[in-house]
Amino acid sequence: MPQDYEKDAYPEPPRQTPVVDKQTTLPNPALILTKLFYYSVDVPVTTFRGIVDSIQQDRKPVYYHQKFRRVPELTECQEGDYPCYYEAEMQWRRDHKVDQEIVKVVQERLRACQQREGSSYPENCAKALQLFTEVATNYQSRYGDLGAYGSARKCLMKQKTRMETQKA
Amino acid sequence: MVGMSVLRSAAAFAARLSPLKSGKSAANILTRTIPSIDKVAIRWGGHGKQLFVIKPTDFYDRRFLRLLQYYVLLTGIPMAVLVTCVNIFVGEAELAEIPEDYEPEHWEYYKHPITRWISRTFYDSPVKDYEKMLALVQIEMEKGEMRLKQLEVRKHMREKGDGPWFQVETIDKNLIDLSLKSTPDN
Repeated sequence: MPQDYEKDAYPEPPRQTPVVDKQTTLPNPALILTKLFYYSVDVPVTTFRGIVDSIQQDRKPVYYHQKFRRVPELTECQEGDYPCYYEAEMQWRRDHKVDQEIVKVVQERLRACQQREGSSYPENCAKALQLFTEVATNYQSRYGDLGAYGSARKCLMKQKTRMETQKA
Repeated sequence: MVGMSVLRSAAAFAARLSPLKSGKSAANILTRTIPSIDKVAIRWGGHGKQLFVIKPTDFYDRRFLRLLQYYVLLTGIPMAVLVTCVNIFVGEAELAEIPEDYEPEHWEYYKHPITRWISRTFYDSPVKDYEKMLALVQIEMEKGEMRLKQLEVRKHMREKGDGPWFQVETIDKNLIDLSLKSTPDN
């Protein structure tokens, strides 16, 4: 079966199932429905998955996560050295994608926290909320309004204006 | 014979089987009105009175939909079967750490087996594409530098005039007739 998600990132609240203290002889509809769901959906799906896994057991291929070497940034390139510009641009694009994924993950965590806590999320999810606001403001200030044709050069110019406004 | 009641169709069938038994004489057996006309069953129960509904033709619409279905499923079903078989018998890849001293092939970075196959069979490795692009950039850079250098050299050669460019061909000095200007009083 595929790996489960990281339990620390999306913590679940402690279970509060009460001790069963049945005082009637009437059948419990919730129990009936869960059993129904189990036998009609869960068992067939699990057996199918088991069959497919047993077919694929020994010959599973493997895939890797590509690691790119760091190359000189745009600031470290000589003027007029266009291959260096190209490599820096590609590295910037990869970093941009990685940052987008980071923002998505943090957003997902905040969403999960809000879903768990329900209406008491402002105080219970304070850490996740603070992390998300920090990450989002940083992303906005770095990659914010670059537009569809954003490039490493434009990002650098944006950083320059940011430093100038900060200094002034 | 559309629109006939059960009784009528039974009479017609019986008449077909044994034409003489339907109460006709041999003389008028070849006339088309073999079933008797006076038996019109209007109050036959069940589906109500059968009507000849006049509506605009839906032949072309139904033909279009039928053909669409046929041509879509002609390749759709084999593709679906193929993808299902690939997913069941050749499973998706699992993520693993890159072992030491091993450079994975470019198609080993993808998960789904069909993506891996496409990357292996049809596409160049992204490293190769990157290098090709870098080579193009290098060539263009050199071309640009050459052009700028050429303009610079042109400027200098025009100015100073001692280079190989911008030389005007003059005639051989032996051909010049200096007798016209040889004496000061000429």
